[in-house]
Amino acid sequence: MKEPSATESPPEFSGGQDDFALAAQVAADCADFRADDEGEWVADESRSCYNCRARRWTQRAFVCLKGRLA
Amino acid sequence: MVFEAAGRVDRADRPSLMRLLISIDDTDNLDSPGTGELAAEIAARIQAQGWGRADFVSRHQLYVHPDIPYTSHNSAMCFTTAVERRRHREVIDLAARFLRETAAPGSDPGLCVVDLDALNDETALIDFGRQAKRRVLDMPAAYALAQALGIHLSEHGGTGQGVIGALAGAGLRLSGDDGRMRGTLALPPAAKILRAKDLAAVPGVDRVTAVDGTAIPPETEIALGPKVKTVWRGGRSVLLVTPTEPDSATAWRTCSNQELKIY
Repeated sequence: MKEPSATESPPEFSGGQDDFALAAQVAADCADFRADDEGEWVADESRSCYNCRARRWTQRAFVCLKGRLA
Repeated sequence: MVFEAAGRVDRADRPSLMRLLISIDDTDNLDSPGTGELAAEIAARIQAQGWGRADFVSRHQLYVHPDIPYTSHNSAMCFTTAVERRRHREVIDLAARFLRETAAPGSDPGLCVVDLDALNDETALIDFGRQAKRRVLDMPAAYALAQALGIHLSEHGGTGQGVIGALAGAGLRLSGDDGRMRGTLALPPAAKILRAKDLAAVPGVDRVTAVDGTAIPPETEIALGPKVKTVWRGGRSVLLVTPTEPDSATAWRTCSNQELKIY
């Protein structure tokens, strides 16, 4: 099995930018969830990866800066 | 039209007031307060000094691309205010000092302050903002444009890369057709339904329309969602509403976060 390299990009969220149910489900079980500034919220569920400080948007989805999608 | 929207703060009876558009970007890291919070704090401090009232903070999405070193979302935050002309320098100094003292380690803060009454080529600034939504721009281009237009643009730590987004944010706010408000409207407590004309009278709301731009008759009842905010469209702060699902108490409701994320 290939070891991740230091330069390898972290995995993207599999649900893209519009799977609100999955983003809420993942955040519900995440110990690292922290709500971002309200102005950055895009999900209606307050606890959602889409509203989390640690999600870094990409062109297709987002990556988790806390490594919770690994 | 655009200026009217950008400078909602009324100066009709005080011609000595100058309208300023203030924009910041790239002030945060993963653990710090967000850029929106800092913009709101700068606005609050200007008001606390008694220099002038500030309009709401708007959030503007910029290009998301691997070559852009944003923290998590690459958005700029912007607001307008009107102050006595003699306060111009003090406003810049207050915002710059605040960013130096407050911006997060590892961030690259940029500050842009536009004197709207002195700006003679708004199209160039708006174009820069629109370009920043679809391609990678660089700092020399931002500084060159700011200098040509007489706009204050300054960096306050790190690489200073935030000057690009700060200038772009100012252009997008000025365009009148980009972004959504940070925060929510101050509505009557516990209100669940309001008429369109009552919503249009709420401070910060210029008009109430359907998502497609159709005007909503004043007596129309609108169901309020948990977070009600406006978007910047057609040079106005617009509260967007959408048809409700069948069997709802009203025919219209306010848009949700999810529905507003494209703005």
